[in-house]
Amino acid sequence: MAETVRVIGDTLPGADFNSPLLEVDDLHVEFRVRGRRVPAVRGASFTLEQGRTLAVVGESGSGKSVTSQAIMGILDTPPAAITGGAVRLHGVDLLEQSEETRREVRGNHIAIVFQDALSSLNPLWSVGFQIGELFRVHRGSSRKDAKLKAIELLDQVGIPDAKNRVGHYPHQFSGGMRQRVMIAMALALDPEVLIADEPTTALDVTVQAQIMRLLKRIQSERHMGLILITHDLGVVADVADEVAVMYAGEVVERAGIRDAFKRPAHPYTKALLRAIPRVDTVGRELEVIGGLPPNPAALPGGCPFHPRCFAAEDKCKSEVPPWTEPAESHGSRCHFAEEVYTDER
Amino acid sequence: MGRYVIRRLLQALLTLGIVLFLLHYLTALSVQIRGNPALLFFGGDRTPDPGMLAQVERLYGLDNKCYERVGDPCLSPFVDRLQNFVQGDFGTTLNGNRDVGQLLAIYIPNTLRLFIFATITLVTVAMVLGTWAARHRGKFIDHTVRGTTILADSIPVFLILLSYVYIVAVPLTRWARGIWGTESFMGQVFRPNYNADYPWTTIIIPGIIVGTVGLATMTRLIRASQLENLGSDFVRTAKAKGLKPMRITIVHVIRNSMIPIITGVGFLFAFMLSGAVLTEGVMGIPGMGRMIFQAVQRQEGNLVIVGLTVSAVVVVFVSLIVDLLYAALDPRIRYE
Repeated sequence: MAETVRVIGDTLPGADFNSPLLEVDDLHVEFRVRGRRVPAVRGASFTLEQGRTLAVVGESGSGKSVTSQAIMGILDTPPAAITGGAVRLHGVDLLEQSEETRREVRGNHIAIVFQDALSSLNPLWSVGFQIGELFRVHRGSSRKDAKLKAIELLDQVGIPDAKNRVGHYPHQFSGGMRQRVMIAMALALDPEVLIADEPTTALDVTVQAQIMRLLKRIQSERHMGLILITHDLGVVADVADEVAVMYAGEVVERAGIRDAFKRPAHPYTKALLRAIPRVDTVGRELEVIGGLPPNPAALPGGCPFHPRCFAAEDKCKSEVPPWTEPAESHGSRCHFAEEVYTDER
Repeated sequence: MGRYVIRRLLQALLTLGIVLFLLHYLTALSVQIRGNPALLFFGGDRTPDPGMLAQVERLYGLDNKCYERVGDPCLSPFVDRLQNFVQGDFGTTLNGNRDVGQLLAIYIPNTLRLFIFATITLVTVAMVLGTWAARHRGKFIDHTVRGTTILADSIPVFLILLSYVYIVAVPLTRWARGIWGTESFMGQVFRPNYNADYPWTTIIIPGIIVGTVGLATMTRLIRASQLENLGSDFVRTAKAKGLKPMRITIVHVIRNSMIPIITGVGFLFAFMLSGAVLTEGVMGIPGMGRMIFQAVQRQEGNLVIVGLTVSAVVVVFVSLIVDLLYAALDPRIRYE
């Protein structure tokens, strides 16, 4: 099999390699439901550099999955609509590209692993066909070559007996193995950015750890940028380099992983960290964040977190907090970021 | 796969056996309860000569003693009949003493033609409407399609048939003949009744009418299955792989939508048999539906049994085909 050298500029015209790998800048996404506009993402910003892992953490409905699908360009429009901001890959704003370029970017540059591998794989085609499809569509490979590549990929993601398994169907795999198939599919065209949207949520705890290790190994081997979307802070601690915490459609805190765990600068992050069960707190009641995530159709005024915040004051009800940086490359969207950071609140 | 096919074949044979036995048992019971049909041969109330009666009974296979015991399953005539069927001997009619095998040779092709046109109509119209409605989900087109198909489905077939035959057919035929001539395709296609000289042409319109039976069900089925697949996670994956919409539809939506559609066609095929009885009756098509109906009216026991056997074979055969198509389409069924 002749390996063709791929030039990124071929599939992404205008790419500038001095720019960050992936930059999400003030992204706004809303859903139009029965004539009403419901904001799902309200100004999400983060940057991903090559070879780094960014964890995007947030509760259900915080807009993290919508953000990832907006980056991929696979949101159903309508009902969704991207109303502002930019998604820059090597400095090229993907939102301004033609549908054809975007299709090339999917798979070739950015790939995604979804949460539920069983429903995310087509039940009627063999896994080999579904992985090979990428080579056949994007590279014009023959069926035979595509199958060989699929075997190679299945082998790389740790599926035993890949040669035989390539002809099997999704329902013949276990949950963990299916997720490996999804990862193999995402890796097929050697993308620079891999988005893993809650890759382990549907799996057993032991299998979760295996899949996380696999993602980490592949990421460092291939020097990819990895966006790890999760609601579980515990999962990301030893995998991620940076963390972006999302709440009600915006990034409320962004920091290096150690800094974020040691000295969170947003009350929400602080509360989340306290809610992680730990061995040394056995016997004590687990702390929870009171209340429910806000309804995106009727967000509270001011800071959207104020009804659930332990540090809230009157100011929080009326004024939207600005983005402040209590320390270098550690930002928070809180009126009292400094105090929270220094643990005065 | 091999085991699946064998199992389905055995199931089909078993079903057929049960249906045929029940059919036989019901007719046997009707003889046992209502009395000897051979008496009809002598015209109602008269008491025939015992020797002649015995001869008639032998001729029509009624000479078995079991027909005098109410509730007796009459197994030996059943086995005899099956043997005759296998050898291609379907007996004769009471009226006119005609060979049933020869009648079938005329009737079966006509009904088959009717079903071919009906199935083509049903599948193509429902496919187009269902896909159209799915594309424009929740919009005006969607509601219109669903409304009109329900309306079309709630009009009984005989009403469509009668209004076609008595209102539309004659002026349309006259108009077409004025332009293209009597012997042309157009001159024949709109006829209100069957013409043995044009066995294909004159069955098109009846076929289309039979095809409207179950149109609403089919359209909704197609609409729903396409919507389900369009919104599915694997279609999202396909989008994330950078596939073109056309490829997504062909590779990832249509094949997945086929299973409920095939189920529907198999199901409606059996349903259309009832439409065939009416249509063949009204449009004067010498087919299986009309044959069975008339056989029941004239107490032609043998003819009823043969006719229902044929339709049972067809239904079982169609379900077998449906099952095999499932397996060809869906690996989860193949490896079950």
